[in-house]
Amino acid sequence: MNLENRKRELAKEFSPMLEKTTKASKIWMGFLIAVILVGVYAFFVQLFKGHIVTGMRDNVVWGIYIINFIFFVCLSYSGAFISGILHFIHTPWKNSVSRIVEIITVLSLIIGPIFILLCIGRLDRLHYLFMYPRIQSPITWDIIAIMTDLVGCFIYLFLTFIPDFAILRDNSENAAKWRQKAYKFFAIGYQDTASQREKLHKITGTMSAMVIALAIVAYSVLAWIFSLTVQPGWDSSIFGPYFIIAGIYSGMAVIIISMYLIRKYYHLESYIRKVHFKGAGIILLVVSMLYGYFTFSEYFTRWFSHKIHDTDLLDTLFTRYFWMFIFANYIGVLVPIVILFFKKFRTIKSITFAAVVAVVCLWFNRYLIVVPTLETPYLPIQDTRADFIHYTATWVEWSLSLTGVAAFILFFILIMKLVPIIPMSGIIDHEREQLRHKKSIK
Amino acid sequence: MKSIKYKYSIITSLLIAFLINFNGFSQELDASNYKMRLSLSSSKQDDNSRILEVSFIGQNKEDRKDKLPVFDAQIKFYNQDNLLGEAKTSNEGIAQFTIPDGQNYITDADGYINFSAKFEGSDAIDEDDDDIQIKDLFLELNLTEVDTVKTVLVRGFTKDSMGVETPLEGVTVSVSIGGMFSKMKMEEVIIEDGEFEFEFPTDIPGDVNGDLTVYATVQNSDDYGTVVKSESVNWGVFEKNMASEDNQLWSAAAPIWMYVVLSILLLGVWANYLYTVIFLFRIKKEGKEIEAEETVLSTD
Amino acid sequence: MENKNTDKGGSNRRNFLKLGFMSSVSAVAGASLFSNFSIKDEEADEPGEKIRMLSPDGKIVEVDAKNINKYPEALITPEESRIGIPNRKFVMVIDLARCKNARKCVEGCQKGHNLDYNEEFIKVQLLQDNPEASPYWLPKPCFHCDEPPCVTVCPTGATFKRDDGIVLVDNDRCIGCKFCMTSCPYSARIFNWGHKEKFDDKSQPYSPETSLPAAEGTVMKCDFCPDLLRQGKLPYCAQSCPMGVIYFGDKNEDIVTNGTETVSFSKLIKERGGYRHLEHLGTKPNVYYLPAVNRQFPLDRGFTKGAEINERFKDVPYVQDLKEQGKI
Repeated sequence: MNLENRKRELAKEFSPMLEKTTKASKIWMGFLIAVILVGVYAFFVQLFKGHIVTGMRDNVVWGIYIINFIFFVCLSYSGAFISGILHFIHTPWKNSVSRIVEIITVLSLIIGPIFILLCIGRLDRLHYLFMYPRIQSPITWDIIAIMTDLVGCFIYLFLTFIPDFAILRDNSENAAKWRQKAYKFFAIGYQDTASQREKLHKITGTMSAMVIALAIVAYSVLAWIFSLTVQPGWDSSIFGPYFIIAGIYSGMAVIIISMYLIRKYYHLESYIRKVHFKGAGIILLVVSMLYGYFTFSEYFTRWFSHKIHDTDLLDTLFTRYFWMFIFANYIGVLVPIVILFFKKFRTIKSITFAAVVAVVCLWFNRYLIVVPTLETPYLPIQDTRADFIHYTATWVEWSLSLTGVAAFILFFILIMKLVPIIPMSGIIDHEREQLRHKKSIK
Repeated sequence: MKSIKYKYSIITSLLIAFLINFNGFSQELDASNYKMRLSLSSSKQDDNSRILEVSFIGQNKEDRKDKLPVFDAQIKFYNQDNLLGEAKTSNEGIAQFTIPDGQNYITDADGYINFSAKFEGSDAIDEDDDDIQIKDLFLELNLTEVDTVKTVLVRGFTKDSMGVETPLEGVTVSVSIGGMFSKMKMEEVIIEDGEFEFEFPTDIPGDVNGDLTVYATVQNSDDYGTVVKSESVNWGVFEKNMASEDNQLWSAAAPIWMYVVLSILLLGVWANYLYTVIFLFRIKKEGKEIEAEETVLSTD
Repeated sequence: MENKNTDKGGSNRRNFLKLGFMSSVSAVAGASLFSNFSIKDEEADEPGEKIRMLSPDGKIVEVDAKNINKYPEALITPEESRIGIPNRKFVMVIDLARCKNARKCVEGCQKGHNLDYNEEFIKVQLLQDNPEASPYWLPKPCFHCDEPPCVTVCPTGATFKRDDGIVLVDNDRCIGCKFCMTSCPYSARIFNWGHKEKFDDKSQPYSPETSLPAAEGTVMKCDFCPDLLRQGKLPYCAQSCPMGVIYFGDKNEDIVTNGTETVSFSKLIKERGGYRHLEHLGTKPNVYYLPAVNRQFPLDRGFTKGAEINERFKDVPYVQDLKEQGKI
């Protein structure tokens, strides 16, 4: 095959996706921007009036913001994990989804820490974290870990972009001037020579291994923010692994949802095929069983040993949070398992539905981890003010949560306008492999 | 004429009404509702100086709990008719006057010193005074180790004009130790024969150097007022806490192993990033070289 | 001619009288008005504590109580406050047998630290350890633990443990992450969620030892009143308790006092069976409790502080019984 021609073909195929914006897409982006603007307004309300506008009070001091923070960072973890694994597996179908996974990793790692900033009472003193850090504090570990993880994932993502930028740089004479300049700059002179390819392959390999390790460390540190305290419900030795499994579970679900949406709205049915969904579905099934196992272990051991403070916590979970508990820990586990277990049920649509159920249930699982423990401290809350006894999120918090999701989607769409979502270089590599394989057989 | 007289009567009655009214404004706010109490006490200190203290407080005639201290009132202190000095009351209604050691007092036939304090009086507050008869009491506090037993010996006596000592009888003397906020009582006895002694407990830590201050006090006696004598002694059994307070989870400096592990991890990771970036620059360099070659070839 | 003269003289006199009358009326009215206003001024000054005194010429005078605190002259800056009062290890003993929920400790502390009604550095809780046990009132300040979980987790070092055992919060350093609040097992800390006017009071410079003025978006808690300790006075709660429930002192010299009684700390704990709350969590608190045996007051005396206070304890079984019996 003629390499140059093939590249030109691919560039031609994917360029419209990059350069043209359909009307529907514009309307959708406008809607997202509107949601984000409402959130910006809510942010300024909070900035000027203080945190009193949120639902957090002296007992439940961590609410929706922390829940969103954990949720988004756990998406990123699974992204890093899956993309790292994919790098080392040599299957034909890994290429189509690898970029989606990597982008989810980076984006959620950017959106997540923004929620932490929303929870900080004095944003004007943020630099104190760097001027007077205390390394005994799990928050300091978290800052270091997330920053390191973010840089690492960013570098890794960029490494995978380089060959595609090279192809686009060479084959986009009709594109806008700024695009051509951007492609040239980001391609850093990659000419797809053998030695360049080898170098790139080497550093991508080490980075992907590093990214897996980093993600494990970063997410364990996040889990330790909770489990290194003495509070009932948080004082658990399995929080690290539990958070990692829950992370992979929710991340996998978001990957499936993204695959479905991108496949549908960008008409990439030939690239993102049923085999991808089936593979993702199997992973989701395995992880959902693991997640169910960990959740069961957590609550079963607390219930069985019936220590007073554990019993109080379980009482709260089964009275005030009863439906949320059922949804998060029963439906969230059983529905995906049932759908994915039986081959007959495994269609693209049903797998995506299972993924949606999984994501929503995992968000509620995070809620049930953070809030009920704070509502049942060791020394009872003896107060008359309702907002100090129970936590109810306010519009500011909900609006900022939706803003986070909208920003995630918006940035995703914008990145897809910069680089093709299916790595062209991956397609070419794969075809080159096939050719060599055929030649060797001959 | 009649109208003028009429006006005069109106004017005068209005003026009188206003004056009465004026008085009426301050009716709740002056001293006439309060009965003043001036009380004098004497306190002999460790250095043999004597503090005469006056408390000048007004008590509401109707509400006995409402007490107002009189501040800035000039109080004169006398020994018999001899003016010793003057002092003004503080915001709490307390005036203190210190007489240094060595003052020669005018005593009466029985050896009592007559102290009196007088408030000269003002327009609103009547003249007030109080007097007390105090005999000069000498307290001695001896802290000695008798056969390795720490013993506290308290002696109290009065001296007559010729310096003959008369032992103290029937007065309550308490021995206490000084703490940061207050004194802790060790023993309280009614002294007989002018002296008593007791064994000092061996479990008092004292301050960081093992020093403690022992006080012998006669409190508010009718004949002697308040007398305090103190002695410092190194009888404390202070044990310094040897546990290390540094490099803990909760101290300013972290445990050493945390610094080590963190450095190793961070160095490892960022070194890898550096390695990656270096390789990226190499790729870029190679790309540039190839471009340069191509331009050379094309121009050839 | 004469008539005119007398007439003129009469009108002159009239005018003069009028003038005199007017001026005297206005003088008197003005004086009384002025004194009225000046009294009003004093009353409308500030809602702070006033001390009434009698001047020597019989006038009642009110003085601002705050002027009497000498602490601002001996200000300890935030940096200096990290070093404790040398050679001390402060400790508090609370005698549960005497506590009757008078809440004077809460009020004294709120006054001393300029706190609002609902902000409590020391809280009085009603605990019932088991259904057979008698409930008891538990005044709960910050325990200033020797191994404080709150200090361990602070990312900026805004809360710190000093050598004299006191754990303080530096409002200038706190970034409001609230990690310390989630890790304290005794729920001792409170947070300033919004802006309050009292934060703008710059009349005295900030010191962590006074916890005044507080700052928005930061954490605050009981501080064992180091500003009072430096003056040789007991903390506000210990001074305010009418029953002598709260003893305070220095563990190094082994003496604690509640203002009237001064006793040896180690003897008090040993003889009365002193214990610490949630000992098994390993925080090593510095507040000891003497069990509620041989109580000085029946428990029911403590429910006289109003319906709102009683409503706080609605989850305690004993209170639910009382409600059923109609006693509250």
